[in-house]
Order: sequence, then C-alpha cells, then structure tokens
Amino acid sequence: MAKGLDIGTMNIICSERENEDVVFTRQRNAFLELESSDLTKTMLDSAKVLYIEKDGVINVLGEDAFKFATIFGKESRRPMKHGIISPKEKDAIPMIKLIVERVLGEPGHRNEVLCISSPADPIDMDMNTLYHKKMTEALARRMAYETHVIDEGLAVIYSELSDYNFTGLGISIGAGLTNVTLAYLATPVMSFSIGRGGDWIDEQVSITTGLPKEHVCAIKERGFKLNFEVEFGSPDGALSIYYDALVTYIIKNLNRKLAEITPPKVEFPVALAGGSSQPNGFLKTFERKLRDAKLQIDISNVKQAKDPLYSVARGCLIAARTQEGGDVEEGKTEVSKK
Amino acid sequence: MSTTSFSAKSVELFQNPLNIYMGNKKLLLMVDNTNSVGILRRGTVVYYVGSAIFAAGIALLAAGVAFAMIQRIHYGSEPWEILLFFIFTGVGGTLILAGINMMMKQTRYGYYIIAASVFVSFFALLIFARNYSNNWYYPLVSYVIALYTAGFLLLVGNAFANVILWMISGKPEAVGLRGEEIKTYNDEEIERDIEEATRKSIELSASELKFRNLDVEGVKFGKAFRETRGDTIRIKDNMEEAKSLEEAIKPGGKIKSGSVEVDKISMQLGEAMRKGAVEKGRFETFKAVVTGKIRSLVRLTQLKK
Repeated sequence: MAKGLDIGTMNIICSERENEDVVFTRQRNAFLELESSDLTKTMLDSAKVLYIEKDGVINVLGEDAFKFATIFGKESRRPMKHGIISPKEKDAIPMIKLIVERVLGEPGHRNEVLCISSPADPIDMDMNTLYHKKMTEALARRMAYETHVIDEGLAVIYSELSDYNFTGLGISIGAGLTNVTLAYLATPVMSFSIGRGGDWIDEQVSITTGLPKEHVCAIKERGFKLNFEVEFGSPDGALSIYYDALVTYIIKNLNRKLAEITPPKVEFPVALAGGSSQPNGFLKTFERKLRDAKLQIDISNVKQAKDPLYSVARGCLIAARTQEGGDVEEGKTEVSKK
Repeated sequence: MSTTSFSAKSVELFQNPLNIYMGNKKLLLMVDNTNSVGILRRGTVVYYVGSAIFAAGIALLAAGVAFAMIQRIHYGSEPWEILLFFIFTGVGGTLILAGINMMMKQTRYGYYIIAASVFVSFFALLIFARNYSNNWYYPLVSYVIALYTAGFLLLVGNAFANVILWMISGKPEAVGLRGEEIKTYNDEEIERDIEEATRKSIELSASELKFRNLDVEGVKFGKAFRETRGDTIRIKDNMEEAKSLEEAIKPGGKIKSGSVEVDKISMQLGEAMRKGAVEKGRFETFKAVVTGKIRSLVRLTQLKK
C-alpha cells in the first residue's frame, strides 16, 4: 500500500488505492474560532461538525469552517498562505497537523510509503519553501510513514502525461501558488512557482466588488464559467477579468523562465491541473494565450486534467507506488543475493 | 569575476596551488611557491615565443644545410658561401636550443642564462662574420670557436638541468599546464554553483532534524472528529501510470539522474579528455624533441671518436 498527499493552501487531499479504485479524501485547510458553550458543542456534535476545544475556545476545522464563516459573516483562518505554512498564523502548524492526521489516517503498516507534494520556490516573491517542505515531511514521518516529497508540477506530469513518456509541462494552478514543472522523460528540467493563484483572484474580486472572500470563493466553485460576456458590476465579470489577468501573468513568467534554459528540442504537451483551473472556458483561454505568447518551447497540445482538483494527489500516489515498487524490487534483489 | 569566490578557496589554494576546484569545475592557476615545482617558473607568452624561436631555428638550420647541399660546399668553396653556411647553421643551432629552453620551465636564473648564452654565441658568430676570410687566423679562430661552444654548452646544460629538475618533481602537468587552460567563470555561473551547493547542504542537514511532538494536552475532540476523515470520492482507476513511471525512471535498472547531473558529468568528461589530450600531446612532443637531441648528440660524439 502507498498513499499520496497534496497539502494545498485551500485543500488537503489524500489519495490511496482500494481494490480497483482510487479513493480521495479531502478536507479544507481552514479553521474558524468560536466561543465555547455547552449549547454550541451540542449543536456541533448533532450536526457532525469537525471541531476541537482547547482553553475554552472551539476551533471548527475543514469544510465546516468555511460554511460557518459564510453564515456568521466572519473570515475563516487559514494555516497556509501562498502555498506554504503561514508565518502570520500562530496556530498554523497544530491545525495542519490535526487536519493532516484526520485526512491521512493511520498507516496500513509501519513505514508505508507516502509521497507529499511541495511547492517550488516562487520566482516573483521573496519566499523559500524549504521550511514548509521539511515541516510537512516531519509531520507525516511522525505518523510512521516513509515520506518522500515531489514538486507539485511534477505530480501533475506523473498524473496526466504518462501517454507522452512523462515529458511535458505540468502546471498546477492552486489557491496560493501556481506551480510549473518542465520534465523530459520523467526528469524535471525546470521547476518554479508563481506567487498568484485562486486566492489572488478572490482577494482582487473581493476588493473590487466588496464581497467577502469566502463568498467570492463559493461563487467561483459553484460552476463559474469563464467567458467575456458578463453583466456590469457582477462578480462573474470581475472573476473573468482577474482570471484573464492571472493566465496572462502565468504565461509571461513561464516565458521568462523558459528563456533561461535550453530545453530538449521536442514538442511538449501541457497539462493543466489544480482547483483554480476548474472553471469552464479556462482551458480554452489558457491555450489561446499560450499559443499567442510564442513560447521558447514547441507546444504540441494543451490538456486539462481529468479531475483538476485531485490531479496532484493522484500524481503523488503514482510516485509513491513507484517508490514502493522500487523498494520491493530492491528487497527482492537483496533476498535473491542472500 | 568574483574575487570573493576565490578568497573562499584560499586555504586550498595555499595547500594545492595548481588545482583549484570551484563547485565541480577545476580552475588551473599559475602560482609561485618555494617547493621543487615552484622553483620552476613559466609563462604563457614565453612558451609561445620559445616555440616560435625553436621553429625559426629549425628553419634556419634546414636552410643552411639545404644551401650547403645545393652549393656543394667544400673546403675550397667561395668564402661567402662558407660564411653564409656557418651563419645559417650557427644561428639556427643557437635558436633551436634557446627555443627549447624557453619552452621549458626555468629555474630562478634560467632566463638570464639563456640570454647570456645566446648573446655569447651570436657574438662569436659576429666576430666570425666580420673576420672571415681575410683575418681568419689563429688564435682568433680559437677564441671564436670557444665563445660559440661556451654559449652552446650553456644552453644544453641549462636544458639538461631543467629536465632533471622536472623529472625529480615527477609532475607531468609541470610542462603541460599553460595559460590557454585557464577558465574564467562569470558571476552567474559562480552564483549558480554556490546556490546549488548551499541548497544541497541545507536539505541534507534539515533531513537530520527530529521534531518533538506537538503539545496536544487539554485538547478535547468533537464527536465527529473520530468518525470521519473528510469528504471522500471514489474513482475507478487502475493506475497504470505507476508501472510506466517506474519503466521511465529505471529502464533496466538505469540510475536516475537529473539533467544537471548529466550536464555536469558530460562537462567533466569533456574537460578531462581535452586536458588529457593537451597534456599528452605536449608531453610527447617535448619528450621526442629532447630524446632526439640527446640521441643526435650521442651519435655525434661516437662519430667523432
């Protein structure tokens, strides 16, 4: 058995194999503080809400934190920002630990292989991802998993580009960051991230329309369609504008970064994944802008992941299973040598 | 070129002045010290000037010999023919030896000895040219021959001494290393090397860290906390990609290696091959020249006997 874990700014998703199926377990990476009282606890228990109580304060975790935030008009707290553990959130690590423990569950056996996705260092922000990487790795290791970390963009390539011998450009447009990896025959040639994602869109739309961020996020996730015929002053219009700006920004940075390397002379397919690449029309917009940008590499085709939200977790599971397979093979060799 | 990068290597520079590594790259610097190798001095320009002088000497000697053969020079030939033959061969011989000396590393006073020897030989040839054939009588003939022979022997002796020193030092690179192999690195390359080395060391050191468990005392969990792990979806998926990935990463047990590693190994291999070829080529040429000269000297001595 092996597991994959995508620790994202918005969602923490675990993937594992069960018979012929892959099971994805998802939890929002958010929490909301409420005042503790017997009545509140009874209500939360009867509604089967995920919460913890410490020092007279209730912390609602996961998806319910988002729902309660919308109901009470409060802003949920997020343990992660820009793809890494938030330095401004004092309870970030304990909350991530709790959510990861719930989502991941106990290992099937000691040293079960677990592959975690990690963001690459951003090129447009003064930020280093090493601390985040080591913290998440340590959290999983304490749960008796044998942990491995791979770049988020590479996980997309593992999940979506097997038909192309794992050669291509994997782009994961998440909430905090956009991760990009260029790989040739499963070997990463270039990995970087861009400090904008779904959260940036939410913030900008929230500022311009005056709607709370959670509300904007809910509109976005409720089947928003990216098109350019919208009502004046509608959140959809603002979302379309900022989605367009995000795509332009990603492609501009991608082109800038590609100019610094000498990639192999082959045609690269592009795979888009991540929660923020889900809206209808996103693929079309992205492909059009990508073709217009005249990149430093030849693009064969642009495809969207089958399940954009789960693509990174699936890529991690593939990497974990490969790692597990390698270990088993190595074990066999050792036994046969003996 | 960043000077700070070099100062970081100062200890290694002190210990091993000829081989300086920066990341995976080897910088070959010409430095001076007081050991047996350090006594021997060299310079790129001097080496090439020496080569040119050596070539000029060969040309003059060949011209002199060719002139003698064409004019069929003998003891009764015209004085100007004899004069020209001796001037060509005399100057040629001196230049050959001077060139060989200059191509070699020199001891502290090596270049002075070469200059003095060439001056003495040329002075002898000048006297010969001015006095032959009208005033060509003893004891002037003896003086001229003695002067020329002294200069010639000084050059041979100096070359011989240097060869012996070089053999004692036992370092083939002593002759082979020249300025053309000095590589310069721009700030970007140096920064990239430093960044990569730093990243690797940080990641390695961080992997040794052990974290104590977080304090969870006094935390009460809600009823639902132990009941559900989160929203679950189940998708039919045979995950064939895992096999493909394993095949792509390790086809036939191939070692996994990133493009950076491949680039590095290729570059190192290329440099090693190029450096080996240059060193071997120069060493072989030098060895052939010295051996040939020694053999011809021995043969000449035997013939005279």
